[in-house]
Amino acid sequence: MKKIKFSPGGCFAYIFLTILSITCIFPLLWLLVSAFKSSGEMLANPTAFFPKAWTLENFKTVLFTLNFTVNIKNSLIVALVTTAIATTVSALAAYGIIRFFPKLGNVMTKLLITTYMFPSIMLVIPYAVVMRAIHLTNSRVGLVLVYMSFSVPYAVWMLVGFFKTVPIAIEESGRIDGANRLQVFTRLVLPLVRPGLVSTAIYVFINAWNEFLYALLLISSSSRQTLSVAVKTLEGADILNWGSMMAASAIVVLPSIIFFCLIQNKIAGGLADGAVK
Amino acid sequence: MDSNKRLKRSAGGIGGSNTTRWFFVLPAMAIVICLLIYPLLSTLVYSFTNKTMTKTTFKVIGLANYINVLKDPAFFAAFGHSLLWTAGSVLGQVIVGFVGALSLNRIKNKKVQNLFRICAIIPWAFPAIATAMVWKWMLNGIYGFIPTALMNLGITGDMPQFLSTSRLAMPTLILINIWFGAPMILVNVFAALQTIPQDQYEAAQIDGATGRQSFVYITAPHIRTVVGLLVVLRTVWVFNNFDMIYMITAGGPAGASSTMPLYIYDTGWTGMMVGKASAASMLLLMFLILLCILYFLVIRRWEKEE
Repeated sequence: MKKIKFSPGGCFAYIFLTILSITCIFPLLWLLVSAFKSSGEMLANPTAFFPKAWTLENFKTVLFTLNFTVNIKNSLIVALVTTAIATTVSALAAYGIIRFFPKLGNVMTKLLITTYMFPSIMLVIPYAVVMRAIHLTNSRVGLVLVYMSFSVPYAVWMLVGFFKTVPIAIEESGRIDGANRLQVFTRLVLPLVRPGLVSTAIYVFINAWNEFLYALLLISSSSRQTLSVAVKTLEGADILNWGSMMAASAIVVLPSIIFFCLIQNKIAGGLADGAVK
Repeated sequence: MDSNKRLKRSAGGIGGSNTTRWFFVLPAMAIVICLLIYPLLSTLVYSFTNKTMTKTTFKVIGLANYINVLKDPAFFAAFGHSLLWTAGSVLGQVIVGFVGALSLNRIKNKKVQNLFRICAIIPWAFPAIATAMVWKWMLNGIYGFIPTALMNLGITGDMPQFLSTSRLAMPTLILINIWFGAPMILVNVFAALQTIPQDQYEAAQIDGATGRQSFVYITAPHIRTVVGLLVVLRTVWVFNNFDMIYMITAGGPAGASSTMPLYIYDTGWTGMMVGKASAASMLLLMFLILLCILYFLVIRRWEKEE
């Protein structure tokens, strides 16, 4: 490969990406430094980047005075249960599609886009009506159920891509050795797609952790509310303290970013690989 | 495909294939039927009734909801905002993401490339609530970093009120959405660029092709299907997006940034008129379906050319 050192295109690439990177990470950094500033300092000097005195006051307020530990717990429970159920259901479905309904596997992306088309604001009205009828309003169980609506289609789509890479010869040898379908699936296939399974689970977790609309409209008591909505309600406080707001936002954003960085290689390829049509 | 058929036959012989194959897909099918198809049908039914949030009884009123919605100036205002919001966001995301991906592909130093890639991915990982709050704080009209910086640098005479000025609210939201969505395009287009066999470029270079010719005849045909699909996915996602606008401006000031999902929310939840909100939802869905059919016609034509 020829190495071009000072081509105008290369220069442009560096300049563009530098500006882009700064624009991309600045809000994260600003959020973090703001979370460690005292409110006096934030208001006195709105453009100073680093705090003069780093303080944990905002985090203390959010966690203990505003009781965010409860909301963190709720979000964790809802997101973890959603992840466990959605990943299991989707792994079975993705494998079933690949092995028994290959034609369906070929139109997965179109199916995914179709489910994307259903606006959540449309879905939430029937959800609310049904939840009321089966007495699941204002419950985390109901919320987990509803979260299946967006996590399962995406997880199936992702997993179909991963299962496609499993060579069928391995399964056939397992079958010859006398293992039944389910044993072949759990003992032979699943270990092979473990990295894909982990990425999918993480992605489902992030989406459930970040979800806002359903939690806002289906959960009414603050003791059962998830973190995203709890952060939003801070805005309704008499005096909006941006320091606490940024500390609360940091608590939402950090798990998401850490997990995302762990799986960024896996989610990137999806559309570019064979999983397209 | 061939080996699939073979396995299916053998599965029938040993494991009782019919029960087993349904065992794998049934749970997911149940979820799709209960959580996507049932609500769709139920919305369709509600859209012809006078159902409200509070009453359990309702009766069929024909097309009255649809007529009501189509007579509502707020609906058309919201539809217009939705078009602007979607076109502006998707176009911006694609341009920034695409140029970013091409730039990233030019960088030969793997470490630098990876560093840029990680930085550019950060916004994608932002939960909607964090996106909303950090931008609201940075754009705050009294203590926000951006207005203060703009004024201190003498670019604007006073503190610009990005989110509470009618004229500025929607463009600001679109810029925030570009910030959020461009990384997804960038990463996917970059991944697609990496799958192009390098020797094609080398062969083209030997044949004396210019950079532009390589782009038009090698790069573009390779990645346009991916870009097309990304545009479809993004369009649908942005069009249906409720969280970001609700959390940042709640459709304000004075409805200046109210899109279709916010209109449905105001009608169905705040106004409790489930029937009317359902009619608006159905119209939104129909519009999206038409749009997607159009997109797919284009993408299919590209696929045929390959």
